[in-house]
Amino acid sequence: MTATTATIGCSSQSKYPSGDLAIWVFILAELLVFGIFFAVYAFARMNNVELFNEFQQHLDLNAALINTWALITSSYFVVRAVAAIKEGNSQLCVRWLLAAIAMGAVFLVVKSGEYAHHFGQGINLSTNSFYMFYLSLTFFHFMHVIMGMVILAAVAIKAHQGGYSASDNTGVHTGASYWHMVDLVWLILFPLVYVMR
Amino acid sequence: MFMYGKHILGIRACTWVYFFLLVLSFITYLVGQLGLGGLEVSLLVLFFALMKGHLVGLYFMGLVRVKGFWHWPVSIWLIIPGVLISIAFYLAN
Amino acid sequence: MQYQSQKVAIPYFVGAIVLFVAQILFGLIMGLQYVMGDFLFPEIPFNVARMVHTNALIVWLLMGFMGAAYYLVPEEAETELHSPFLAKLMFWVFFAAAGLTVAGYLLVPYSTLADITGNELLPTMGREFLEQPTITKIGIVVVALAFLYNLGMTILRGRKTAINLVLMIGLVGLAVLFLFSFYNPTNLVLDKFFWWWVVHLWVEGVWELILGSILAFVLIKVTGVDREIIEKWLYIIIAMAFISGIIGTGHHFFWIGTPEYWQWWGSIFSALEPIPFFMMTIFAFSMVKQRRRNHPNRVATLWALGASVMAFLGAGVWGFMHTLSPVNYYTHGSQLTAAHGHMAFYGAYVMIVLTIISYAMPLLRGRTAANSERQQTLEIWSFWLMTIAMTLITLFLTAAGILQVWLQRVLDSPLPFMAAQDQLTVFYWMREFAGVMFLIGLLLYIASFFVGDKEPEASVKTIA
Ligand code: HEM
Ligand code: HEM
Ligand SMILES: [Fe+2]
Repeated sequence: MTATTATIGCSSQSKYPSGDLAIWVFILAELLVFGIFFAVYAFARMNNVELFNEFQQHLDLNAALINTWALITSSYFVVRAVAAIKEGNSQLCVRWLLAAIAMGAVFLVVKSGEYAHHFGQGINLSTNSFYMFYLSLTFFHFMHVIMGMVILAAVAIKAHQGGYSASDNTGVHTGASYWHMVDLVWLILFPLVYVMR
Repeated sequence: MFMYGKHILGIRACTWVYFFLLVLSFITYLVGQLGLGGLEVSLLVLFFALMKGHLVGLYFMGLVRVKGFWHWPVSIWLIIPGVLISIAFYLAN
Repeated sequence: MQYQSQKVAIPYFVGAIVLFVAQILFGLIMGLQYVMGDFLFPEIPFNVARMVHTNALIVWLLMGFMGAAYYLVPEEAETELHSPFLAKLMFWVFFAAAGLTVAGYLLVPYSTLADITGNELLPTMGREFLEQPTITKIGIVVVALAFLYNLGMTILRGRKTAINLVLMIGLVGLAVLFLFSFYNPTNLVLDKFFWWWVVHLWVEGVWELILGSILAFVLIKVTGVDREIIEKWLYIIIAMAFISGIIGTGHHFFWIGTPEYWQWWGSIFSALEPIPFFMMTIFAFSMVKQRRRNHPNRVATLWALGASVMAFLGAGVWGFMHTLSPVNYYTHGSQLTAAHGHMAFYGAYVMIVLTIISYAMPLLRGRTAANSERQQTLEIWSFWLMTIAMTLITLFLTAAGILQVWLQRVLDSPLPFMAAQDQLTVFYWMREFAGVMFLIGLLLYIASFFVGDKEPEASVKTIA
């Protein structure tokens, strides 16, 4: 297996996704949690269409777009980080990872701004079932962003210390896969909660 | 299979995917800004989202290169909630 | 056994089994009172028997965990225990406190016990599972602190492993959450709310870490599979346990006066709680399948596998059955709850303590790897008798529960509580018979320590 400039991961096909298989078991379990949450949201909305449609309009779409872009961009940076370490370029990998973490921070700041706005209006979990779901779902995801950033930071530190190489970089893939999962979930959450009506 | 050629897997492919994701998100945003609604629009937006998820799985996560069992979970994950959400929106209208 | 100080586990294991016997005897007394209302009245009222049954259970499981920790922490850390003396002393403090408390329950009325022990000063008594007098609770805290100190010092000095880390987090969490038993607000909603922080966050939170680490330890020993693989599983399992179990506490907040969102949070997150239990089953079986060697202690392997399956059934399946709020609306506090409580406690925690005892006791008593063939055969019998008996108890109570819910809560003209109970007598008799079977299994288990203990050790060859 040779790593070339143009490839991410190994250029050959494989039976297993890159990264530790354990993280994949974990990712699937996490996806299941979110999947259930999404379906429950949709069915709860079914019994309360007017309410959901009305209060959805109070959400900040601009913030949601910025956050979607932030997460996608961040995911892309992580792809670059993986490509960098595949070439054995640890310092480049670290830089891409830091950029990804920075985009994660953008997400957190914007999302916190939204929360501050809602809380400032006295909105909480008991306001109505739309807000209950909106706050729970996004906050649960918010926690995952933080978790993902912690993982990326740990990977970055190890990469900075030269802990990975072109041939030994499972850890980078592991962190990357988790981060993509956080992005993936948001890509569904965004239209479902902010747009679909 | 031609799909597995290097050019598809390279950074350049991921960059294209990235731009595509940005654009699709922007369309979703526009739909929201224009206040468009109704079953068809909602399902279209959902379809975009599932496509985006699929691309993230295949390219960013690199599942395009994985054969067999592990190729599928993310796609299946997208489809099941996707179908459930569609049903719920269908029944709601 | 590699370290002399691991021997302090012996009194803990023995004490645990003594209390186990007491627990089961009181279970049988109650089971009989269910069908013969005045049995042993007024000497042992039902509520007293119930306290003894459940408190003995909790205390002996705690003793089992402590014994397990004293056994496995030094071995994992590759060093002697910090202070064997402190461990022995604490055992006697703990055992004496437990004995005195049970004596208190049995000898004086509960309210008198509360008066004698100065409950007014810091009222903590009178809540299920936490009935102990306040001084007993303080005693438990002291024992726990000494225990954690002892282990902590040992680990600091020695090798740090994932198993020790996870076990320590579990044990510290256990102690910290117990502190909520001292918080007893007059507002009933808050009282119930924080009561569950002890009860639920124990069995569906930190205890799962203890369960996972003991299971991982025994599996490493009996299968010889790489530590690295086992540790990875352990981390995923505990991550899932926390993600689902912490907010999953909400499945107890449906009807106690908390805000509505708990209906959703509780239902959704607790519905995921079976996942870590399921992973544990897969984990145990795949490790045994990938084993590098056949360990002569096959009964310990059997207990480990059994625990993983029964924990999944009792906690995962029977728990899921009534965890969604629309279902729990009907089943809350019925015999279904008792069915689940029995199988979950047995499958997860009773069986894991018996697993580590089964693995460690032969070594502690001077065997090199395992008990004799005869002892193991006896223990295998006891495994099946107890496990099948518990399955039967669960099934009978489930049947009783379904009928109860139907008669009392679903029918257009529902029966009053006692009238519904009258219809369930046949199930309660069957439960009692299954209970007797359980006791026989337990007696055989104890016999397996003594019958054939002079015979030579089983070896892998004689099994194969
Ligand atoms: C080993 C783990 C577990 C143990 C030892 C355990 C034990 C118990 C016990 C003793 C009770 C009765 C509490 C009382 O009211 O006095 C109970 C209640 C309950 N458990 Fe568990 N449990 C476990 C895991 C689970 C899991 C994983 C779930 C859900 C999937 C679950 C769902 C429930 C529910 C919903 C109740 C309330 C029943 C009611 O409303 O009456 N449990 N559990
Ligand atoms: C290791 C075996 C056992 C365990 C782990 C266990 C555990 C428990 C637990 C956790 C409770 C409280 C249940 C709740 O709050 O819903 C309980 C209550 C009870 N147990 Fe057991 N038990 C065991 C064996 C037995 C046996 C053998 C019998 C008798 C046949 C028995 C009879 C009872 C009765 C009658 C209650 C009271 C239920 C009520 O309040 O209505 N238990 N047990
Ligand atoms: Fe619970």
